[in-house]
Amino acid sequence: MRAQVRLLAVALLVFIGVKAAWAQPRELRIVFIAYENPDQLMEDVRPVVAYLEARLGRKVRPFVASDYAGVVEALRNETADVGFMGPLQYLIAHEQAGAQAILGEVYNGQPWYTARIFVRKDSGIRTLADLRGKTMAFVDPLSSSGYLYPLETFRRAGLLAKREEAEQFFRKIYFAGGDEQALRAVLNKFVDAAGIGQYSFAMLRPEERDQVTYIGESPKIPSHCVVARKGLDAASVAAVQAALLALNDGPNRGLLKQLYNVDGYVKVTHETFAETERIAKEYGFLKKR
Amino acid sequence: MARREGKSRSSRRLGILGFVGSATAAWMAVALLGPAERVSAHIVPAEKLHPAVASYRRMVFLLNLNPVLWDEVHKDSEVIAAYAGRVAPAEGEAYKHAADAALTRVMEAAASADGLGPQERKQAARELFELSTRAVARTVAAQLDAAEKSLGDYSKASRALNEARQLWAAFEHEIRHSDAPFFAEAGKCWLTMSSALGNPGVLGAGYVAADASAFRAEAGEIRGYLAASFGAEYRAPELGWLQPLPVKSPTFSASAEVPARLPPGSEINKQLPRPRQILNMTARGVNESETVLIALGDMAFDSPYIFGEPAQSLQISCNTCHNKSITNPQVFVPGLSHTAGGVDVSSSFFAPHANNGHFDPLDIPDLRGIRFTGPYGRNGRIGSLREFVRNVIVHEFGGPEPDPLMLDGMIAYMNEFDFLPNEKLNAGGTLSGKATDAERRGEKLFRTAFAGMNRMSCASCHIPSANFTDGRRHNLGTVKGSGPYSRDGALDTPTLLSAKYTAPYFHDGSQPTLRSVVEWFNAQFKLGLSTAQVGDLTAYVEAVGDGEEAYEDTMHTLEAEMEEFSFFLSAYEYLKRSGKQELIGMTMQTIAGEIRAHKWDVQDQQYLPVLDRLAELMDEAYTASQRGDVAAVDKKVAEYRKLYEQQKENLK
Repeated sequence: MRAQVRLLAVALLVFIGVKAAWAQPRELRIVFIAYENPDQLMEDVRPVVAYLEARLGRKVRPFVASDYAGVVEALRNETADVGFMGPLQYLIAHEQAGAQAILGEVYNGQPWYTARIFVRKDSGIRTLADLRGKTMAFVDPLSSSGYLYPLETFRRAGLLAKREEAEQFFRKIYFAGGDEQALRAVLNKFVDAAGIGQYSFAMLRPEERDQVTYIGESPKIPSHCVVARKGLDAASVAAVQAALLALNDGPNRGLLKQLYNVDGYVKVTHETFAETERIAKEYGFLKKR
Repeated sequence: MARREGKSRSSRRLGILGFVGSATAAWMAVALLGPAERVSAHIVPAEKLHPAVASYRRMVFLLNLNPVLWDEVHKDSEVIAAYAGRVAPAEGEAYKHAADAALTRVMEAAASADGLGPQERKQAARELFELSTRAVARTVAAQLDAAEKSLGDYSKASRALNEARQLWAAFEHEIRHSDAPFFAEAGKCWLTMSSALGNPGVLGAGYVAADASAFRAEAGEIRGYLAASFGAEYRAPELGWLQPLPVKSPTFSASAEVPARLPPGSEINKQLPRPRQILNMTARGVNESETVLIALGDMAFDSPYIFGEPAQSLQISCNTCHNKSITNPQVFVPGLSHTAGGVDVSSSFFAPHANNGHFDPLDIPDLRGIRFTGPYGRNGRIGSLREFVRNVIVHEFGGPEPDPLMLDGMIAYMNEFDFLPNEKLNAGGTLSGKATDAERRGEKLFRTAFAGMNRMSCASCHIPSANFTDGRRHNLGTVKGSGPYSRDGALDTPTLLSAKYTAPYFHDGSQPTLRSVVEWFNAQFKLGLSTAQVGDLTAYVEAVGDGEEAYEDTMHTLEAEMEEFSFFLSAYEYLKRSGKQELIGMTMQTIAGEIRAHKWDVQDQQYLPVLDRLAELMDEAYTASQRGDVAAVDKKVAEYRKLYEQQKENLK
């Protein structure tokens, strides 16, 4: 009987060991988003991958997706363990695939940013209400700072109650495909205003900056985040968090440039996105429960 | 300070692709945000262009020059051909064949005994311009076709549309300035097409279907415009300067002026940190408020308004190339430069009337100690600094005849430029007790007569007691002469003082380091120096060329710039008494322009409006000076001074 117990204990230990080994795959798969040249991106992230491999003590395999849908899909079908995305994409990934935000990016010392409503200084437009019946450029129908939060800015100003009303409020809405395209559309007078991320302004050349200003600003938007797929083991999540957080002040800080040029990372949880989630539900991007 | 952008789509793309290897980008930060964010706005980032567009625009610039650098044109035509070949293979192949044939013809003619005549050159340039314009226009249409065919496959369609949009930039500058109605129309077309792509959503959420008919209509409009303007029948109008003008468009304005631009690949930003400028009077503790002639010269040195077009519109001043009176090793303009820090100032671009017809870029010289380094020009062709500066203004940068007082001011200012202090040198140019053993061994070699140098030593020409120059011209064989046995290779002996900070070396910047210079002499004149001796001699030359605090210890230049603008303004009362209305206007214009160029450097952006107001006051003073309203100018100048005094602690 004692021998049987011992055997059972050994078997149990072997099982736990195998399970532990199974739960921690040999390689960590990270999906990056590339907007232009995937080959260049792979080249750029090579030092990051090398750092993570050394730090995590396991192979890290980078993948490239050409859009957020690809990143989210990779997490959902478990071809990737970790990915980078915006808050709205994260909320969709969380809702539909159980993904978990584990780190937030830091910009200028803050893990948040805002959207702004830019107009030309010489347009005579001074308030958000002045934009009634005017033309408007957003970035993308699934952009946090380039659509969702600009709409929220108008809603909070009492000018819109829901997304559909934007079609009536503005004479014409365009999705310019990028922050810079939207801002340049304002600069070049193709549209009256643009709702885009606050940092877009730095894309203009100095002499161009004098021609535009902003007349509205959104509430704080949680920064873009690092997201783990559903079921990624806690040890791997903790290791990735620790490795990326170590970049904040450590000797490898320079690698942040390769990671979307952020200032650093902070730990986040799903709660960080609670307000964004509420807004996204209001606008129909997420199911209302 | 890291660069920061908006955090969706293209902005993030820039974030990950734009920063690598870009010191310029590293200084681009955030604007309109708050105290924590800064920009260095006078460091203007390069325009982001599609490689084929960059090649096209550079090629167009090159084709307008005399001489045309055909090898460079060839490189750009290869880029266009390769891209066109990928997008529209048959047309790309046809372009390559035709461009290669034209280039082969013209390069053979250029290499022939008769050389290339002006008509042949212009004809070949026109042919290549027309071929390339048609080819690039075709790539826009081809990418629009590709996007249209891919509608429904968002990734593919948006990539093709993005390419088309970027390619459109090949013509956008000319269309903006010569066909404003269609420029606006096209802007809406691109926005509509982008919107019509729809959106694939994420896991079904946010899905928007593509709108094929809206896309087709707008794409058709762009394609139609390009076909009419730059299609198969396109011939460049006889307007002198080759540029893609849409003359067939019903809304084209023949009287519109298209501003000149420098070609892609150009760099005219000043360096950061700035080199430390030492003005003799400042080093002596002189109160600057009463050195008005020097102040006038300082203003003129920083003013693009002393030059003609296109330098003026491009905001090029003496300070662009001789940043803080030193040298700007970054300056590069394709077609005018052969290496960074060198420019052909006798080219056809800035002052066509004074073009010498051949490509002879020169390394930009350091102006430190210029009162000791005459004669002037790399070949020492002009003995008088005043005459030399006038020549730069009128015949190198197409400016009007300079006011004699302004010229006096510039000379007074330039005569203040001092060498860097150097503790390793005694007054007579011998090494001081601070020198190392290697430097002392090097000094001995420097003063050794070598058989290979006709029993002369390095010190024979770089005379230590005469600021390491002899003020004479010598032919060392570094210049390719006009022909066999020509005698046109003599160059002015450059000083070695402060030289450690003025790389590259030689008149053409062909030597990257002082060691390579020593090695060149060793080989050229068979000096027989061992490796150790080359090291010693280099150590000595570096010690001679050394200096204390060669660069400023801050990256923030606004405070110093604002002080300098006040210095400019200190000449106002004197100019008023002298009846120099034009120089008063120039001073106001220069200060306004300089404030606007530097204002984004302010570390606390809540003070941007103060800088805006200061610039406006100078605008208003300029306007008043133009109508001869002295009282109004007085008032604006007083307001400026008062506001600056109140706020100067904040303008950093």
